[in-house]
Amino acid sequence: MNDIVCHDYFESLLQLLPNKDSNSTEALSWLKQLKADAIDQVGKQRLPTLRDEEWRFTDISPLTKLPYRPSLAVCNLQLADIEHLFLAETNNRLVFVDGHYVPELSDIIDNENLIVGNLSELLATQSSSIQPHLGQYAKFQENIFTAQNTAFLQDGALISIARNTSIAAPVHLLFIATQSEVTSYARCLLVGDTGSNVTFIEDFVALQEGAYVTNAVTEICLAANAQAKHYRIQRENNKAFHLANCAVSLAHASRYESINIALGAQISRFNFDAKLTDEAAECNIDGLTLIADKQLSDTHTNIDHLKPNGTSQQQHKCIIDDAAHAVFNGKIMVRPQAQQTNSAQSSRNLLLSSQAHVDTKPQLEIFADDVKCAHGATVGQLDHEELFYLQSRGLSENAARNLLTYAFGAEIINRIPISSLRQQLEQIVLKQTQSR
Amino acid sequence: MSVALQNLVNQPYKHGFVTDIESEVAPKGLSEETIRLISSKKNEPEWLLEFRLNAYKKWLTMSEPDWQNVHYPKIDFQAISYYAAPKPKKKLASMDEVDPELLRTFEKLGVPMHERAALAGVAVDVIFDSVSVATTYKEKLAEVGIIFCSISEAVQEHPELVKKYLGSVVPVGDNFFAALNSAVFTDGSFCFIPKGVKCPMDLSTYFRINTEGSGQFERTLVIAEEEATVCYLEGCTAPQFDTNQLHAAVVELVALDNADIKYSTVQNWYAGDENGVGGIYNFVTKRGLAKGVNSRISWTQVETGSAITWKYPSCILRGDNSVGEFYSVAVTNHLQQADTGTKMIHLGKNTRSTIVSKGISAGRSNSSYRGLVRISPTADGARNYSQCDSMLIGDQSGAHTFPYIQVRNNSAKVEHEASTSKIGEDQLFYFAQRGIDAEEAVSMIINGFCKDVFQQLPMEFAVEATKLLSFKLEGSVG
Repeated sequence: MNDIVCHDYFESLLQLLPNKDSNSTEALSWLKQLKADAIDQVGKQRLPTLRDEEWRFTDISPLTKLPYRPSLAVCNLQLADIEHLFLAETNNRLVFVDGHYVPELSDIIDNENLIVGNLSELLATQSSSIQPHLGQYAKFQENIFTAQNTAFLQDGALISIARNTSIAAPVHLLFIATQSEVTSYARCLLVGDTGSNVTFIEDFVALQEGAYVTNAVTEICLAANAQAKHYRIQRENNKAFHLANCAVSLAHASRYESINIALGAQISRFNFDAKLTDEAAECNIDGLTLIADKQLSDTHTNIDHLKPNGTSQQQHKCIIDDAAHAVFNGKIMVRPQAQQTNSAQSSRNLLLSSQAHVDTKPQLEIFADDVKCAHGATVGQLDHEELFYLQSRGLSENAARNLLTYAFGAEIINRIPISSLRQQLEQIVLKQTQSR
Repeated sequence: MSVALQNLVNQPYKHGFVTDIESEVAPKGLSEETIRLISSKKNEPEWLLEFRLNAYKKWLTMSEPDWQNVHYPKIDFQAISYYAAPKPKKKLASMDEVDPELLRTFEKLGVPMHERAALAGVAVDVIFDSVSVATTYKEKLAEVGIIFCSISEAVQEHPELVKKYLGSVVPVGDNFFAALNSAVFTDGSFCFIPKGVKCPMDLSTYFRINTEGSGQFERTLVIAEEEATVCYLEGCTAPQFDTNQLHAAVVELVALDNADIKYSTVQNWYAGDENGVGGIYNFVTKRGLAKGVNSRISWTQVETGSAITWKYPSCILRGDNSVGEFYSVAVTNHLQQADTGTKMIHLGKNTRSTIVSKGISAGRSNSSYRGLVRISPTADGARNYSQCDSMLIGDQSGAHTFPYIQVRNNSAKVEHEASTSKIGEDQLFYFAQRGIDAEEAVSMIINGFCKDVFQQLPMEFAVEATKLLSFKLEGSVG
């Protein structure tokens, strides 16, 4: 792709920025500055191509073929249309349709210990507690899509948990795509105060068949001893582009756990960045990519150990069928100070067809000597002995294959403690693995 | 053996070679004229000049790569004289002039007296020793039909072979430094093992004195015909000094049906002082083509020297059932940087590859493993196993792993494992309990860590490499 096309692509996007004066929240000078800086970055950076090391396997040039204007704030959905997506265990639900917050479809039960709501509305009352965090973890200086998201920042989810509070019921963030040929900007900020504990779900769903772009940015900040569990389900339609960035900042002895399930989109890219900024922090991230047809799913993770005694664990699995292409790049960085770090990473890939392919790169960068770091990667097909075993028990070859494939993915899904969500996912995986 | 070859190896030293210094040194800078000058000085055939010019044209369109994990000041390619050869290195008059630090090294390594002088660059008649050895070797080799000579000689005497294989594994435009090498290479080794011949001894450049000072752009070509077997050694354990800072060599291996090439390297170029001043930049392109069925290419390397080591000995496994192996130990200390690893490109059916890489970083050094395993759609039943372990000594060094795994075939099986460790206090304590002091304990632990690789080295090399490692890391622990 030539630079002129890229340049035009972003130029034209910038023209579409909402008029700054018409918006009341823009009265906040820091926010104005943040957006101005982001706009500046969009202008400076170019669309990554295959020649950029970070994007060498993911060609996003199809993105420039359609204009993808920002989505309109119109919502024709009724509660009944989306009821099947609700999760019984959750009691706070934020629904964003094409990136715009829809209060009629949402359900908020907040109290003084838990603030949940639309970022643009809460800015009026919570500005002082939002300012130190918003845009501080997902750095737009390094990523054009984050810059773009920040420039177009409007609605978004804010979850803020008070000191020493444990929130039992998970918070459900539902991002629904209903318009085609548009770009939706999804934004989420989670701030967990000292000793807090919360579980939240980000669910990306499409209720239409056309192509569109989802540009999502999630920022998570955990103070000392805080805990967060994050389940991220990406089930866009198979014409969509899903470009997501998630940044996590972990303070002393805080703990972050996530499971990222990527099922949809024509081209999806998930960047995950965790910084263990103080001692004894823990970060466990698991992932499952299940793709078929001509889908491309790219997961780039970076766990940065900055201080001693940190722990990180990661297991990423890919099941790749037809002519799909999975990319995984898992980077573990252990800085000079981060002695006694314990880190384990594994990337396991299952190729179901002869056209499927995978590019995996488990990357370790270690600058401290007293650490325990291990990583492993495997690529292969189903084990013949396992297949034989099941067949000797009377299963047909096909059934044995489907069972083993399902089991491969189920290992990750079974770790999700929310049973309604787990069931929904089990159904999807079952359907996909039985369709062969 | 050819008369010319005999004359060459019998040269007492290369001074006799350089009769007219003025005309032998090309002006600094790289241009088409320089290349024409090199070619004409070496009396090369027209096709080789074209090969060089073609490489030069490609080089002009390329830019220096910047993806690697090493840092160095920008190289001014126009400040290098590309034809200084065959000017020999500066010779010292006696052993007394040799750097005492270097002598201490020899002592440690147990290098025989006469070899010490040769290695330190002292112009004494020790060379006769090597010459006699080389001569006897060459006679033996010629008996079975093996051609082992410098590449310039091969161009004159076996042009058909050189023309057929030169650039067939590393194309002229392969990468920036390979293109530069293809344009300006001045010498190197050529080795041809005819059909069905099992090379009676390990071939070593060490005994081929005419490669001495073969310059910074060395070119090596090894061809093993059907059913041939060869074990090739390069480099030596003693530190080598060189006035050229940039070394951009190219090594090409070709293995035909059922052939077996084992290529071992021990590299200990000058690494610069403790503050990283001076030291060689070793930017090498090494690649083997397992062209025939059941062929095997095996790389073993012990990389201890150079300020910067940047190389990826690779195997292209084209023949069905061919095998590629890579065993590596990379040791860095002080401010050294190493970015090394391998590429295994599986094209044929049932191809297998094994990668065992051990990195040891001490001081403020950084060592990276960067490896590519690519299984192409045609490589049914391909199998790869990779293991890369790093050991860190001191808290200022760094170890990096960049394994690229690209699989395009679902019948392939690829496994990669990596781990990082250090020499623990408890381990040292255990040794101390048994009356073994810290220094020896470290040496034993490190040798245990590297055992998988050292086992692949020829006997004498393995012994020397063991000593070399403990010497290299002396003072970095405890």
